[in-house]
Amino acid sequence: MSRSRHRLLTLALTLVFTSALRAQGTTPAPAPDLSDPQVAHVAVTANSIDIDMAKFAQTRTRNAAVKQFAQTMITDHGAVNAQAAALAQKLGVTPADNAVSQSLQSGAKQARASLERLRGAAFDRAYLDREVAYHQAVLDAIDKVLVPTTENAELRKLLTDVRPAIATHLEHAKQLRGQLGSSSRTSK
Amino acid sequence: MIVWLLVLLGLGRAPTTHTVEIRGMEFHPAVLTVAAGDTVIWINRDIVPHTATASGRRTWDTGQLLQGQTGRYIARARGTARYACTLHPTMHGKLIITNN
Repeated sequence: MSRSRHRLLTLALTLVFTSALRAQGTTPAPAPDLSDPQVAHVAVTANSIDIDMAKFAQTRTRNAAVKQFAQTMITDHGAVNAQAAALAQKLGVTPADNAVSQSLQSGAKQARASLERLRGAAFDRAYLDREVAYHQAVLDAIDKVLVPTTENAELRKLLTDVRPAIATHLEHAKQLRGQLGSSSRTSK
Repeated sequence: MIVWLLVLLGLGRAPTTHTVEIRGMEFHPAVLTVAAGDTVIWINRDIVPHTATASGRRTWDTGQLLQGQTGRYIARARGTARYACTLHPTMHGKLIITNN
């Protein structure tokens, strides 16, 4: 991978996931200079976090539609992770832990702790609120920063291919959230 | 033989195959007109899995289609057949099934 291509990939993924960090309520550190293995680790981590959150939601919710939504997150983000792994293999990259991955995991841990205090409809609302914010943040980053500034055709195609799935997840989450009632404040 | 005789007589036509592509989290085309007896094939071009599953009284289902996989349905009774992806409820499609 050329140096300019590496910098582009690093910038793009860092912007996506610092936006996601904001969605989790975590203040991101300034974008670090990541190596290819670290960038790959960040991508896998971000998908894995949403999968783990969905698995937790499946154990907590009693709402069939929310359970189905969580299953879709597991399935879809798993499929995206498989593509990311294939791309990493193609590029000869072995994912390596790093500060951005650790920040993502820290934010996810906080979000998980907040959700663990909730039960029933309050849990469902909070989980879906988080999913709406998470997917909106990633979508905004793709639309406003990543696609317009990305020069690498392979990376731009990957972003373009993934975007509709993120948008559909967002609409699905909003739709479900709307069905759960008007309460916008979640509590114990 | 009977079908071909009907075709020759202009009283019917041989069944044909139609393809619906699933790409960008949409069915293309979203509305498809076919004749009873025709076959509809869905092919998933997306990274994520999809289904094409009948809504309402009809009960056909392609099952989960991974990227590159196909599912098929032979259109039977005429009328409108609505369907959706069970994994992504915001995705909808419609078959309009006419007489052969």
